[in-house]
Amino acid sequence: MNMVRLDKQKLNDFIRELSAEYSVYAPGKTNGKTEFIPVESSDEIDFNSHVTDMFPKGIFFPPAEVLFEYDEDGVREAQTSHRPIAVWGMRSCDARSLVMLDRVFGSAIQMPDNKNFQDPYWKEKYDNSLIFGIACNEPLSTCFCNWLGGGPHNRDGMDVFVVDAGDVYLMEPLSDKGIEIINSSSCLTNATGKDEALAVKLASDAESMMTAPLDTGGLGEKLTAIYDEPIWSEISAKCVNCGACTFSCPTCHCFDVQDEGKGKKGKRVRIWDSCMFPIFTMEASGHNPRALSSERVRQRIMHKYSYYPENYGENLCTGCGRCVMVCPVNLDIREVLKRIIAYKEQVI
Amino acid sequence: MANPYIPLQMKVQRIETEDPDRTLRTYDLTFLNESEKEAFRYLPGQFCEISILGKGESPFGIASSPTEPDYLRFTVNRTGSVTNDIHYLRNGDIVGMRGPLGNWYPVEDMKGMNVLIVGGGFAFTTLRSLLIYLLDSRDDYMDITVIYGARNPDLFIYKDEIATWKQRDDIQFHVTIDKLVDGWTEKTGFVPTVTQEVAPSPDNTMAIVCGPPIMIKYTLPVLTELGFPDERIYTSLERRMKCGIGKCGRCNIGSKYICIDGPVFSMAELKKIPETV
Amino acid sequence: MNVVNDLRKTIKKLLAEKKIDLFVGWEKGSLPMAATPIFITNEDEADRIVFDITCGNNLSVYFTKDKKQFADKKVGIAVKGCDARSVVLNILEKQIDRANVVMVGVPCHGVLDKKKVLAKTDGREVLELIDGGDTVTLKGNGYELSSDRSEILSSSCLSCIYPDAQEYDIFVGEPRGEVPNENRLKEIKEFEAMSTSEKWASTRAEYEKCIRCYACRNVCPSCYCNVCFVDQNDPAWIGNTCDFTDSMVFHIIRNLHVAGRCVECGACERACPMDINLLLLNRKVAMEVKDRFGDVAGLDINGKPAMVDFREDEKQDFIMG
Repeated sequence: MNMVRLDKQKLNDFIRELSAEYSVYAPGKTNGKTEFIPVESSDEIDFNSHVTDMFPKGIFFPPAEVLFEYDEDGVREAQTSHRPIAVWGMRSCDARSLVMLDRVFGSAIQMPDNKNFQDPYWKEKYDNSLIFGIACNEPLSTCFCNWLGGGPHNRDGMDVFVVDAGDVYLMEPLSDKGIEIINSSSCLTNATGKDEALAVKLASDAESMMTAPLDTGGLGEKLTAIYDEPIWSEISAKCVNCGACTFSCPTCHCFDVQDEGKGKKGKRVRIWDSCMFPIFTMEASGHNPRALSSERVRQRIMHKYSYYPENYGENLCTGCGRCVMVCPVNLDIREVLKRIIAYKEQVI
Repeated sequence: MANPYIPLQMKVQRIETEDPDRTLRTYDLTFLNESEKEAFRYLPGQFCEISILGKGESPFGIASSPTEPDYLRFTVNRTGSVTNDIHYLRNGDIVGMRGPLGNWYPVEDMKGMNVLIVGGGFAFTTLRSLLIYLLDSRDDYMDITVIYGARNPDLFIYKDEIATWKQRDDIQFHVTIDKLVDGWTEKTGFVPTVTQEVAPSPDNTMAIVCGPPIMIKYTLPVLTELGFPDERIYTSLERRMKCGIGKCGRCNIGSKYICIDGPVFSMAELKKIPETV
Repeated sequence: MNVVNDLRKTIKKLLAEKKIDLFVGWEKGSLPMAATPIFITNEDEADRIVFDITCGNNLSVYFTKDKKQFADKKVGIAVKGCDARSVVLNILEKQIDRANVVMVGVPCHGVLDKKKVLAKTDGREVLELIDGGDTVTLKGNGYELSSDRSEILSSSCLSCIYPDAQEYDIFVGEPRGEVPNENRLKEIKEFEAMSTSEKWASTRAEYEKCIRCYACRNVCPSCYCNVCFVDQNDPAWIGNTCDFTDSMVFHIIRNLHVAGRCVECGACERACPMDINLLLLNRKVAMEVKDRFGDVAGLDINGKPAMVDFREDEKQDFIMG
């Protein structure tokens, strides 16, 4: 379908239209930090936010999510049905991250007894969602989506692709759901050839602002080859093993499951966890297969650029740059990748 | 869509203490709900997550065989807070159970083959499941040899059954302890050494190894040395687990998750994984 | 620049004379606002060392973080005033052997707080930062501005009275001496003046932001328990959710665990990805410790940390109510 235009002054009306069917989330400011918050009008949207400080995965995979409640009478499944979620203003990197997470949470593993292990909490929210992406016209210096198959105007994972073109938003519906919502809106007009040309120009301008991409082809094989080499203790030397990188990452999805309650009443909750923490793999016997900091850093890098691609054919990283921004010791993952690619394997 | 995070309710039907220190206890659990019992299909080698509400879950290999339909059996070593609470269970108590999880021993591939089972300590659980399963279709399999080792005679689980297995003439059952103690008349020595001595010919033989990591580590090379090809050596691995369904991200070795791609791996598969056993 | 050159020369000399096996300092980071820790084992690398407003990490954390890393090594370390206090505290707590560490003091004029810089630039990305001493120049896409150093300094630096290492083996450059600072307790006094409900509300507002990444704990040289209480799961002492009550329990217990041990370096606050004001309560407790026990953490290498010392004449009203 062709592009349509939304006059920026009509954004509020458009959000209201969406609100009839969806809970609408958009970038907003909480405590000085930008994150995706539920909005009812366009006034609440923070249009200056670039990559939001907090990642949108929390909408679909909250930091703490109740799996079920229990009491003397047994177990009660937590409510898994919500109003469908629409997200306005999701960057290309973040929309892609949801596709990556969906492969883990939404994928069906067929068991002999016909269970399939799809994650109902994720699916209920993500499958019914409507994602409005927003193209990056001015990438940040920390952005490296172009190293990883993405780009500032990448459309993966979006239902509607949106370009900020000054006074108007140019919108390109990509999915059936996207087409339906565009067709049913009264706020939109057809885009002109000039509009479309502008969208193309903005895309190429944005591309040209990106740093030269690092060739990440063959990274997985390289990582496997250097698995036992001393480079890992060099890379991890300054890491303090906090979880800032993993908790700010839109693709990290490891979680812990804990029971919270008193006596016979309580709830089972899943909570974001981090492979940086020693306790992540600590066994009841006291044995820890990843006791060393270097082993944990290696796990994080291997998971993103070797294990996940081995399972799903794509790196588990969108190049959003959040981990680069938040690392308290400036352990820059881009530097790590460059170093790994440049590393000469030692003959053992 | 069935919610894979919701445990089924199971009732404790029988409790057996396995060792004098009372750190190992065996529990037979029965389904409260007949339809859940009917739907529950598993094979030897699979595991379940047992829930103590308020404490959490722990994974345990299923020690019963699918040919014993009346109960699910688990043997629990008391180490952490969940296993501690399991040890306080009484007959008739209700616990949560999610499963069956993970893959299983290649029982189909074993048909028409000799089987070597090598086990150690309280990890004999899923090996019991396998052994019962094989014995219940005895004619489908050729020679069955079992090597089971423990640190001392107290630490064998299923002692009564071992005694009956040893009586049978259609299996070779060897037990061994690490160091000789008074009154012990069976083999003495570590499992890898005993395996070297009594293992059958690798020809048309499938080897299944399950035990503490150190035992696995030293037994696998022995089997290789004896001529077992990597495709016919299987082992079962353990890691800290939470979700059991391949989501929570902690139990991986390399790109494989123990909970869904394992716990049973062939030596050939393990050799492709950088993280060693 | 002279300080940096002298520092580099000092490191080269220490390495050349085999007085140290390894030097821990800062090098230019990949982002304009962040220097990054560097471990130097050969002289050539010493030219990578920098020291300026971006050197916010308290490097003493590497002694306690992974003890194997520095085991049986003679380690040289660049220390600001607060960092030196951490090293001293770690020495007093027997985490570091004084004989195995060569402390190189550097005159500190304060380190930046990213959130204050970004407030200056209205959130626009900083692409270049030039530390010109009293003024700092910030450049980005389509803008250039300069800021008074004091306006972008970490709050720990604004309340600092010991910018120089009090304990050192070598001091590079001119020590600044004790800096008088009448306003240093201003924030604490304001907090104390609040009503209980105001205190609760403001504390809650801060800790509600927490995402439990433990960056604060992990950059802290005083936080080195083998297993932190939040990581103990048998029994689990506190919940690990981001629920305010869970987060607050974590922060307040941590606060008390570093009572008399916090050197007020501000590394925790700078590390926090959620911009939580972590220092206020730590400083308040440090102030209480000084008032009650006369101890300033890590200031005196011959002293005894407040928590391992007992004098009959010290205030005990907290026990008796």
